[in-house]
Amino acid sequence: MDEQKNGLNPFYEEFEVFSKKKEDGPLQYQFSLLAPNEEMAIVLAKENFFRREKAVDIWVVRRNAIRKLSQSEKESLKKLDKHYRETKGYADLNQRWRNFKEKQDNGTDEKKVEKA
Amino acid sequence: MLDHLTFDQLSEEQKYDHFMDRINRDEKIEADDWMPDDYRIALIRLISMHGISEIMGALPEKEWVPKAPTLHRKLAIMAKVQDEMGHGQLLLRVAEDLMKPLGKNRDNIMSDLFTKRLKFHNVFHMASPTWGDAAIIAWLVDGAAIMSQTMMLDTSYGPYGRALKRICQEESFHAKHGESLVLSLAEGTDRQKQMLQDALNRWWDALLMFFGPKSKQETGHTNVDKNIKYKLRTKTNEQLRQEFFTKYIPKIELIGLKVPDKTVRFDEESNTWHYQDPDWNEFKQIVSGNGPKSDDRIRLRQSSYENTEWVREALGHVKTAVV
Repeated sequence: MDEQKNGLNPFYEEFEVFSKKKEDGPLQYQFSLLAPNEEMAIVLAKENFFRREKAVDIWVVRRNAIRKLSQSEKESLKKLDKHYRETKGYADLNQRWRNFKEKQDNGTDEKKVEKA
Repeated sequence: MLDHLTFDQLSEEQKYDHFMDRINRDEKIEADDWMPDDYRIALIRLISMHGISEIMGALPEKEWVPKAPTLHRKLAIMAKVQDEMGHGQLLLRVAEDLMKPLGKNRDNIMSDLFTKRLKFHNVFHMASPTWGDAAIIAWLVDGAAIMSQTMMLDTSYGPYGRALKRICQEESFHAKHGESLVLSLAEGTDRQKQMLQDALNRWWDALLMFFGPKSKQETGHTNVDKNIKYKLRTKTNEQLRQEFFTKYIPKIELIGLKVPDKTVRFDEESNTWHYQDPDWNEFKQIVSGNGPKSDDRIRLRQSSYENTEWVREALGHVKTAVV
């Protein structure tokens, strides 16, 4: 199965390594490594990436268990304009409110002038 | 990019233009992204050479683990050797992902090393006969390596940049370790000072060579232009060598050592260091695997690879049994 997939090198599988620095911190991608199984992947992750760096948790995942985006999919993400979902998509509101406020203020001024 | 087409629908030429646009916008290229063969080949050459150099570089240093003068030094050298091997692991991983579409893997890197098709840095073909050599290597060879690695931190290839970031963090410890070794000898007895000076004399030309030739006039061939075009690197070999002089020559003189080149001087007017070029023919010989220690080190690497084959095999069996 996996062995066929790796073709030339049946012994190793590719693992991706993630870790947490603090209990309440996010899981962070570290790097990849080659190992014959999960247990060795954990051992090698410690050796390769945590000789000094602190970690409270380490995850290893077989690379072929990860569905990544293709380049087309990644490109399509770039095109999406999601301003309508965010507050910064509505940055013109203040100015428009001010316009109404000014109109109102001017209106009352005019009325005052008329009365006088 | 043409908006109505998805990436897969672009022609090869459009993909290339799209790729160069990304490079010029300083986007990072990832392993699965489309890239021209030229870029892939340049990366494989650069990164497998860098990765194997880390591993071959640990060999002259590891010779000093059993002979280190104190326990503290022994522990520090062991840590450094382990770091270098770790850097090799990171870099070979990056190279492997690039080689995969070509149907190659780590075994090919190793066999290319054993048959001398894959080159490694000139400095790791040299002997390190005294503790003074260990000090000069840790201070100046590592210092030179840090300069060239730092220069590439912003490289256009994402995985290489991330590997370099890790490597450079650990190299800052190596730099301090090297300074500490050199300062101890420079503060020591006349014999110790002389040992340090002798080591510097032995290493000077190799240090100049480390950065590579100025242009292809010296060796008939260079990849620097291509690597700059693809933003794999940002400075030329000569720029790095000049920075090395500026950083280290004053320090070398400060601790009472003499640069073994009487012509070395800083020219205020042109703002450059003048120096005696090393023998670039010798450089070509050395990196082709004909240096003083080339065969010994490659043999050592090969026998270690062969001697540990049973471990790889045994682990392979465990996996088959479990699965």
